[in-house]
Formats: sequence, C-alpha cells, structure tokens
Amino acid sequence: MEILSLALTFFIVANPIGNSPTILSLLRHYPFERQRIIMFRESVISLLIALFFLFFGEMFLNALHISRYSLVLTGGIVLFLLALKMIFHSSGPAEADQTKQEPFIVPIATPMISGAGLMTVIMVNAAAEHNNIKIFFAILIAWIGVTGVLVTSPYIQKLIGRNGMAALEQIMGMILGLISMNMIVDALRLFVQTQ
Amino acid sequence: MDLFSLTIILFLIMDPIGNISSFLKLLHELPQRQRNKIILREMTIALIAMIIFNFIGEAIFNVLKISEITLRLTSGVILFLVGIKILFPAIDSPRANLSLEEGEPFVTPLAIPLVAGPSLLGIIMLFSHLETNYFIVPAAIVIAWTLSLMILLSGKHLQRILTDNGLKAAERLMGMVLILIAIQTTFDGLHHFILSCR
Repeated sequence: MEILSLALTFFIVANPIGNSPTILSLLRHYPFERQRIIMFRESVISLLIALFFLFFGEMFLNALHISRYSLVLTGGIVLFLLALKMIFHSSGPAEADQTKQEPFIVPIATPMISGAGLMTVIMVNAAAEHNNIKIFFAILIAWIGVTGVLVTSPYIQKLIGRNGMAALEQIMGMILGLISMNMIVDALRLFVQTQ
Repeated sequence: MDLFSLTIILFLIMDPIGNISSFLKLLHELPQRQRNKIILREMTIALIAMIIFNFIGEAIFNVLKISEITLRLTSGVILFLVGIKILFPAIDSPRANLSLEEGEPFVTPLAIPLVAGPSLLGIIMLFSHLETNYFIVPAAIVIAWTLSLMILLSGKHLQRILTDNGLKAAERLMGMVLILIAIQTTFDGLHHFILSCR
C-alpha cells in the first residue's frame, strides 16, 4: 500500500472524529486551554504505544507461533466489533468515568486512539510490508492528523454541533465495518490458500 | 504446543494483573502480613483445583472419546470469549460484583472463580487431554501459578508504580494476546478438520 493510504487507514482506525465527542464529554469540566493540553498529551502517549507495537509487535507473535491469517482475522473481528459499537452507539456521557481525576492514558490514549484495533492494523501492515520506516512515517502522518483533530475538536463541536458529530461517527463506523469485513475475508482466503 | 505457549495461555487466563484490584479491594483493611498469608492460601486452593481438573480432564475425555479437532475448536472458542470479556468488560462479571462482606474471604470469590474460573478449569481439562506428555500441563500450571502469585503478592507496589490506569492498560494488552492465541487455536482445529476430511 502507499504511504498515504496507510496513513489514512491508521487515521480512520484511530477514529479521532468519532472519538472526540466522547473525549470532549470526559473533559467538559476543564477550561478550554486545559482541554487542548490534555488532548495533546494523550495523543503523544498514543503515538508511543503505536510505535512500540510497530517495533516489538513481531516478537511475541513469533514466540507464540501465531500465523499471518490469525493476526489478520483478529484485527478484522476486533475492528468489526468496534464498528458495530460505533454504528449502534447509544449516545450520552453515561459511560464516562465519574472520578474527579484527570483522564490519563486510559481511556483516551489507549482504548480510544491506540486501541486494540490500531495495534493490530499496525502489526498486520508491518508484517505485510517488511518496511518499518514506511509504516513509521505513515504513523507519523496519521498522528499529525489525529492530533490536529483532537486539539481542534473543541472548535469542531461548536461548528457542527452535537448531531453533526453523531452522524460523522456513524459514517466512520460504516467505513470501519467495510474495512474490517475485508480483513476477515482476506484472513479466510489466506487460511484456505495454506491448506 | 510447547511449554512456553501453554504457560503464557494459562497465565493470561488467570489474569493476575486484572485480579490485583479485586484482591486489594477485598483485603485492603488487613495488615500486610495477614494479607500475604490470605493471598498465599487462596492461590494454593486455586492451584489444587487446577491440578485436580487436570487429572479429571484426562479421565473424562478418554471415556467420552472426544477427538483432537473438537478439543482444539472448543478451547479456541472459550479462549476467544475470555479475551473479549477482558477487552470489553461486562457489567455482570464476577469482578464487577464483588460482595464486600465482613470477615476474610475464603475460597470464594478469590480462589474460585476469580483466579481459577470455569474457563481456566475447562481449558486445563482440554489441554491435559490434548497433550500426550503427562507432565507438560502440570508444569505449565505451576510456572504460570508462580508468576501470578508473585504478581499478586507485590500487587500493592505494582499498583503504586503503574497506577490503576497502567494496570488497566496492561490488562487490555493481555486480552489482545489471548484473542490472538484463541483464533490461532481455532484455525489449528479447522486445519486438522480439513485434513481429516480428505
């Protein structure tokens, strides 16, 4: 794949547009400037997590004898579950943590941005491409986009309103559903071919 | 499967990192010494349950004449569901519904089902029948158990160093690995099934 389409895939899987309403509702008690600082910090952490998986993800796969099609299928299934969650999303900040503590790593950086889906997609593409530098730059490009969306999301919400954000999340969910089903089909094809 | 993968799988299902918070929640009032004693006792009970089910598994599946394909597919599906539960925690899980009764906990809920839950015991039964070597599953159980015990005993320090968020992140990664292993096991089963059809 080309570096830009890789970056686009990472960007869609990280789903900053769909995640930002939830993140915003988590941070709504903080002043505007503080919100942007938190967003930036969380996106740096998510970049670190993504890079860790790019360089060391391969190691435990070899240690556990996990083959290519299992990796792809895992990515497909986890992403598909995520897509279902996004399409049939029950809105409302009810799931937000009630603790007064400022959100740190969890839930913004790790389950939301660099979630299980992104980790798998990075490992799948790193296994497919044999070119870590290319993936590295694709991650960087996607990360710039993710950070851009997160840091400006307080403005976006003002611009398109809550309903617009909800609609966007569902569209991203549809796209993610297609991508993940494609991965599942690829995995099954890989499996059948090895027989 | 070799000893290493078996140990990893059993360790991931025991989920010691995820269990730290439950153990600390139930035992936080007790002084350090007594807490360690209870953790040791509960873990020993869990170990005994695991070893017993290891031998029961051998006997039951020999009588039922269940094929290797069935065993692989079943363990794959069970592992997958356990992994999904770790990644997307349910509200009705035993961990979310800890009853904070008076007095120290005995056997339930710490030893069974939090450490040696039904899925762990089921997987042990399946593996003990799947492996031709009699000693490999008990050895994996003991190694994974020792690792879990060390993690649980140092739970308070781990929680302070990693914070609750760090523990949560570690648990998610473990859930991911478990799902990977589960899908690989299922595919191994399918592979054997296809071979047996030819």
